[in-house]
Amino acid sequence: MKIAIFPPNSLILADLVERRGHEPLVLQSEIRKKVTSSEIDSPPLNITEEDPIKGLKYAAIEVPSGVRGRMAIFGPLIDEADAAMIMEDAPFGFGCIGCARTNELCMFNIRKRNIPVLELKYPTSKEETIELVNKINEFLDSLEEKNG
Amino acid sequence: MSPPKNPEVTEKNPDDQVTRMIILGPSADISQTELVRILHMMEIPLTIKSTCYGAVIGGDKDVVEQAVQKIREVDEYNIFTKDRGFPPGDPRRCRAKRGGAREGFHQLEKEFELLEDVSKALKNPQKVKVKECKKISPEEFRKIAEECK
Repeated sequence: MKIAIFPPNSLILADLVERRGHEPLVLQSEIRKKVTSSEIDSPPLNITEEDPIKGLKYAAIEVPSGVRGRMAIFGPLIDEADAAMIMEDAPFGFGCIGCARTNELCMFNIRKRNIPVLELKYPTSKEETIELVNKINEFLDSLEEKNG
Repeated sequence: MSPPKNPEVTEKNPDDQVTRMIILGPSADISQTELVRILHMMEIPLTIKSTCYGAVIGGDKDVVEQAVQKIREVDEYNIFTKDRGFPPGDPRRCRAKRGGAREGFHQLEKEFELLEDVSKALKNPQKVKVKECKKISPEEFRKIAEECK
């Protein structure tokens, strides 16, 4: 199954999803298309004509362009997902996930899709980390059972 | 006259080229040098770059997947992998050219702190109950809002 993860560039979430035989929908695979495509003049600073159009599907025109630009990349990943995992309160320096409004919009879109969602908090202690891993594994196994 | 095309050389689709980061957990049985040596010994067409956290490998999608599968077998609970957008040693991201850590490094550093506990949890799996999140009624929400006043 295709699992959307949030933050979409998390090492722990992506690795655990793969270990259970599912496919994590990660941000890096989308970024790869942007930075290796010869059609873009000086990647990753430029965007294509298509990107703002894609972003408009998820955020209105009056929404800051940064949110729309990010949603052009995150949105299709959320649309593609069969299930999702959200890890809230991730540290601020979590890669390019520095936009709080985009994060809220992403989480809203995930919840709106009515797919199985596991909501977690970023762990701060050993006990919390162990519980997080067990919960993720339990959730991923339950998805397998539901789908045979 | 253009030179005849070599039938053995086929053009590669850039979409099939992937990059993977291999991250060694704090209690890994192998070092970065050993990791890179094992990757070289696989004798598969990969671009391998040794890094402080492990290695970055790049190449055809199926070849990279094969390498990831094999390397996980070396130390299942302490080797973690993650996709990467930029190719290995890309001057736009490589710290040798840019000066200073690349953007994603700070995140990796933060998540690295948890890897020891993650590997412990993977070694000793426990049954836990996953609570399903449900919407609350407007009355309940009103009650919570009043309590927070």
